[in-house]
Amino acid sequence: MKFNWFHLMPYRWLPEDFRERYHGVWVDLPNSLYDPERGHELYNEYLDMLEYADQQGFDAIGVNEHHQNGYGMMPSPNLMAAALARRTSRAMLLVLGNSIALYNPPTRVAEEFAMLDVISGGRLIAGFPVGTPMDVNFCYGQNPVTLRDKYREAHDLILKAWQAREPFAWNGKYTKLRYVNLWPQPIQKPHPPIWIPGTGSIETWDFCAELGYNYSYLSFSGYKRARKVLAGYWDRMAALGKEPNPYSCTFFQQICVSDTDEACEREWWPHVNYFFNKCLHLYPGMMGPPGYMTEASIRAGVVAQAGNTSLNMGGNKSWKELVDGGYIIAGSPATVRQHVDELAQSLRCGHLGVALHIGSAPMELTNRSTYLFANEVIPHVRSIWSEWEDHWWPRALPADKREQPGSHNAAVQARAERPSEVTS
Amino acid sequence: MSDIPRSTLLNLGSGRPSLQVLEAGDGAPLLFLHGAGGIAAWAGALPLLASKYHVYAPLLPGFGQSTGLECLEDQFDLFLHGFDVIEALGLDRPYVVGESLGGWMAAEMAAVRPKDIGRLALAAPVGLWRDEAPVVDLFGCMAHELAPYLFHDMTIPAAQQMLGLTQLFSTKDDRTQEQIETLIGMSRGFRTVAKFLFPIPESGLERRLWRIKAPTLVVWGAQDRFISPMYAEIFREKIAGAEVVQIPNAGHLIGLEKPEPYAEALIRWGQK
Repeated sequence: MKFNWFHLMPYRWLPEDFRERYHGVWVDLPNSLYDPERGHELYNEYLDMLEYADQQGFDAIGVNEHHQNGYGMMPSPNLMAAALARRTSRAMLLVLGNSIALYNPPTRVAEEFAMLDVISGGRLIAGFPVGTPMDVNFCYGQNPVTLRDKYREAHDLILKAWQAREPFAWNGKYTKLRYVNLWPQPIQKPHPPIWIPGTGSIETWDFCAELGYNYSYLSFSGYKRARKVLAGYWDRMAALGKEPNPYSCTFFQQICVSDTDEACEREWWPHVNYFFNKCLHLYPGMMGPPGYMTEASIRAGVVAQAGNTSLNMGGNKSWKELVDGGYIIAGSPATVRQHVDELAQSLRCGHLGVALHIGSAPMELTNRSTYLFANEVIPHVRSIWSEWEDHWWPRALPADKREQPGSHNAAVQARAERPSEVTS
Repeated sequence: MSDIPRSTLLNLGSGRPSLQVLEAGDGAPLLFLHGAGGIAAWAGALPLLASKYHVYAPLLPGFGQSTGLECLEDQFDLFLHGFDVIEALGLDRPYVVGESLGGWMAAEMAAVRPKDIGRLALAAPVGLWRDEAPVVDLFGCMAHELAPYLFHDMTIPAAQQMLGLTQLFSTKDDRTQEQIETLIGMSRGFRTVAKFLFPIPESGLERRLWRIKAPTLVVWGAQDRFISPMYAEIFREKIAGAEVVQIPNAGHLIGLEKPEPYAEALIRWGQK
């Protein structure tokens, strides 16, 4: 099993009366609540957390894209990945991802991902989300009716741009380019592994199966509620004749590790409460613009909407309810180990995205959790699914062939800084 | 006069939309272009118009039994589609009445082919934009929140009926199969609207308004909270000879809220 340490980068200082005063955390939340000097502190602290995860041996470190959002401050995940590419050299870089229908032309994504792959020595995992309605429709103005068609065209263009060795013309419906000729090309051939985040629609499963991509199920409602959705995924894979390779599937789980179960509740509750009961204050009026979902998905959603998953994300819940419901896995290393094992077996996922920073959690608490998970949880669950081969992992340059940041300066320092040869 | 319209299917040819057309009344032809809600019932001003006119009310693809939205890629396809409908119905320079979305479509059609629209009435049309009077975001709110923007008086039966329908969008899982089909039908119609109007219902109509040659009446509910009555003045300024009528105590859905004075204004304009 592989573990990626995933950051949402929430803003830490949403006011006490946030839920009462504002109608949501996303899209039209006034940016007067944002203090850039605190933001400076936060970005640097959060990047440090990701670097620490690399040092502690996580297989990958992950970032994602949200816009105008109080709990996700990465409108440009590629900037964060670029910062991480230069400060780490071991962990893979999971960018989950770029909402490819937003970029005009989409070759911009092909270029930036290629740059990240080259800078990092082939460590990139390229995520291609369709994007949430809040991000792509309401913040970035994409038409919900044509979004998926545009997404598919952008995908086809990026894949072709990564692989073509001669300039080509692209006469698409949404993008027309007379000359596509990507400089640079990614290190990984034929291209970096592609992961597709989704929330449970059949169309996305079929897309992943057709093209051999990893399906990353994103949910804030935890592993117990994910069983039904991922059972649907595995049924669909079986129906399509795909082998049930657990590494084709990624799941994301919020996890808190402390020395004991009691300490965990005491230390983490304020920050978990901040996330579930404050950050996840989402306005339903912007969650489903007409045309965003296909009619088949609406039909499926309408019929099986008991506790509508998109709206039932843990708001107004106590610590006990969140833990018992599997929204979070929390406790001592022994407790967490047991739940991670149960999660992996019940969902059949080979990749686990671990959100070890939650809500307003400070640095020390987060790093303690990261340390305990890396040293006292991972070793015990590492071998799950070891009989399967992971076809969805970067083919990076061998570690000893990867450039070390700063090594070039060091190599020439003595010569470059030698005394001036001009004599007076 | 009949309160029950005839419903026919109008096939525009292979690979093109197939439309449900509601028809009622005798007399001169009147082409009615509906708003974002479609034509949920033959109510409001429609029966009144049918007492003087032969009303043709085609439903856009996605509404009712009309299909073929995929044939209309962009707004220009939509305007040309309007003329395909006029031709298929055998109408010649008809009187076109359009409400909101339909008003925008009617104005665009009259600007594109000015000689082919005989007379025009625009009821609270979208299509223009002023930062100081933003049109309400039809797509970024909950259905029940929208209703108060559409009616001046929420206590009237039409407003209460709409509020009732919006309750179907609740997250409760207690809908009947019929309600589910109603809900899906509504989503399908909104999808059509979003395809042409998301995210801001403005795409250059203002610079084309001067092309309109048809005698044009602009009707607005004096208490329209969805799109400000100030827009009526812009239409009046930019379309030669256009006249404006405000209907007192009416919101955006004038036809449902004040059918009599509204229909009377439309009929009077038709006879001018």
